[in-house]
Amino acid sequence: MKELEKIKRISIVSILFILAVLIGLLTYKRPKNTYAINTEKTLEKITNNHFFITLENINTPDYVLIDVRSQNEFEKGHLEHAINIHTPEILNNSAFFKELKKSNKIAILYGENPQQVNIPFLFLYQLGYDNIKLLTVKNSYSQNKLITKTCDIEKLEADISAFINESVKNSKIKVTPKKTIQPPKKIITVQKKKKKAPEGGC
Amino acid sequence: MINRKLVKFLSFRYVILALLFIILAGGLVLLPKFEKQEGIKPEQLLSNIISPERYITTDELADRIINQDPSLLLIDLRDEETFKKYSLPNAINMPLKNLFDEDSSAFLNQDAYDVVFFSNDNFDADQAWILCNRLDYKNLYVLKGGINRWFKTIINPPHPKENMPLEAFKLYATRKAASMYFGVAYPDQVKTNVPKRPRPTPKKVITVKKKKKAPEGGC
Repeated sequence: MKELEKIKRISIVSILFILAVLIGLLTYKRPKNTYAINTEKTLEKITNNHFFITLENINTPDYVLIDVRSQNEFEKGHLEHAINIHTPEILNNSAFFKELKKSNKIAILYGENPQQVNIPFLFLYQLGYDNIKLLTVKNSYSQNKLITKTCDIEKLEADISAFINESVKNSKIKVTPKKTIQPPKKIITVQKKKKKAPEGGC
Repeated sequence: MINRKLVKFLSFRYVILALLFIILAGGLVLLPKFEKQEGIKPEQLLSNIISPERYITTDELADRIINQDPSLLLIDLRDEETFKKYSLPNAINMPLKNLFDEDSSAFLNQDAYDVVFFSNDNFDADQAWILCNRLDYKNLYVLKGGINRWFKTIINPPHPKENMPLEAFKLYATRKAASMYFGVAYPDQVKTNVPKRPRPTPKKVITVKKKKKAPEGGC
């Protein structure tokens, strides 16, 4: 009699457990968009890989031009055969990017300037679309016409310390080296969780 | 007959149950692939990165440096060579590829300082910011235009034309003063550089004689 009672209890508990797991499985919501690579890998890839492309090299059938500016700007003028996908709408078009990746085509993003394109580029990159490149151009308008110019990225435009020295020389002032007050060194303390004092004892 | 079969079956019951649970546990291993996602959700990230809130202008930054804001922490993302040539005062060099080194996370993942990223323009700084934002680090900013704009606006501000509004002249004056703070000297600076100190006039001391009162009374 006792044995039977025990079996009954075990079977009830196990059925409940299986039910809980099943319900969990069925109601599990798969997130719509997921990252494909973590931040460290992304950093490693973007610092090593060459993902820039210049204006001269884009005339290949494998390339699809994508304009990340707003629709308004796009209608004013755009590069030939370009498709308009505004940056905030990028997630709604993820099917399009998936298709591009499947068909081994390379998406080339461009916008007003490379800094603007940088944002959707890095975002898509983290979602796993590594078939994208960044067109290093600056777009501006002149007499109602879109003018596209190649431009540099992260290029230092002037030698600042040389400029400062030059200015000091020109001004013929004896500049006594200023004693700048060094602010106290920045020490950032990482907060450690306090270990709890061992409890108990009698 | 039936009873015997049932007994035989029941003798395996624990093995069967155990197997069932192991299979279910195996299913759970497959699930967390999505839960293990590092950082904030992609939708959230997208809305963060398209907002221009992260940018700080060169004028704002110059103002904060001159006022010696103690909560400011400048991070130079360029390589060491360019960093040595010129950088903003008291900046810390952290090349972009070293962003996630062990030592750096103490600077990035904190809430005591306002961290400002900068590079030659804001391309690399934006990339660093996006990656850190995904990890949900707070108090990070990007210097809009980077060192190039810093040079164009603060170090070598363009002289306003005559037909420009008064604000342009005021801005120029402020920027010029700021550039002097950062070490640029101007030919017409001589007078402004040496402020006349008024000679301290000797203090006049007026002594007031106290009248001594003769002790009154007494008998």
